[in-house]
Amino acid sequence: MKFKISRQHLYLLFLSLFFFIVVIFFAFFALIPEGKNYRANKLALRVEKIQKQKYQNFYDEVYKKLKQLQSDNRRIIVAFDTKFSVKKFKKNYQSYFHTLSIKPYKKVKKYNDFTLYEVNATSHISTPKTFYKFLDALNKSDWIVEVNFPIEFKKEDEYIRSSFTMKVYHRKRVKETTPLKQN
Amino acid sequence: MRYSYIRPREKTIVTSEFKLVTSFFSVTFFMLFTTYGFLLYKNYSFIKNKKEVVYEIIDLNQSIFSMRNEIAFIENEKELATSIFTHNSVLKESIANLFDLVPEQITLSKATLLKNGLILQGITPNRDVYNFMLQAPLRSIFAQTYSSFYPASNGWLFFVSKNYVDSNETLIINKEE
Repeated sequence: MKFKISRQHLYLLFLSLFFFIVVIFFAFFALIPEGKNYRANKLALRVEKIQKQKYQNFYDEVYKKLKQLQSDNRRIIVAFDTKFSVKKFKKNYQSYFHTLSIKPYKKVKKYNDFTLYEVNATSHISTPKTFYKFLDALNKSDWIVEVNFPIEFKKEDEYIRSSFTMKVYHRKRVKETTPLKQN
Repeated sequence: MRYSYIRPREKTIVTSEFKLVTSFFSVTFFMLFTTYGFLLYKNYSFIKNKKEVVYEIIDLNQSIFSMRNEIAFIENEKELATSIFTHNSVLKESIANLFDLVPEQITLSKATLLKNGLILQGITPNRDVYNFMLQAPLRSIFAQTYSSFYPASNGWLFFVSKNYVDSNETLIINKEE
């Protein structure tokens, strides 16, 4: 049996063979490696997204805790941030005393993350009870104030002259914290 | 003059078989290149998205760190404020107790509260009243009590009473020391 093929068909066969080889090479050396990369990258992205979700959940939890804490302690936070003012102090607490004089305050030292100011006050009160009321009111003041020793009470005519030292705590802000975002 | 009854077939390179083969491979190449292009684009997109997610994680991490610092600071503030409020309240009670300690017969002219002691100055009708009604309770509170007297013009006695607690104690809790 004699197999006869025309020259034109032979060319066509070679052309087909050439294209087929190109397709095979392209598939094995370009398409399949790229496909593997595709799978690997897709998996890596998914892993990162899962990781990010974990961070996001933790962020939400911490953010909620911070907001709750800020909300519960708003007065204290604001008081620590408020700069002491002799004028305002006298205005707020003058009513407790017959006379009240405050010496200009001075920064004494640093206490952890706070700046500590020392304020010397001299006042005249009619009864010690007034001083108790003043101490109670001080715990609700615009600043965080601690009455400190020495405290002196001296009888002067019909009044009691009281002199005492107060420590005012002010938050030291080295730098502002980065703005917090809620995603 | 014609030698054949049939017309000669036109010879062309674009035969029907050629068209079939080229169209087949054209479709094949088109699909291959499209798939390859799609994969290239998706890989680029995945890598870009991954970078963005990593940056977001870093950002979240920094925010969490700063928030935790803020929480620690607020808790510190809360603790300090509570101790100061307690200090003021205890101080108030201490002063109230001091004035309650003094009997009606004795009149105080000066009282000084120190970190580790109390100095009282006043006038008493006699030593016994002072000793039994003021010094006795003072002795129960303070480790060291020193008293001195000098006569007043009306026959009563001026007194100065210096009272100190032990060196490692204070009148009230002082958190700083």
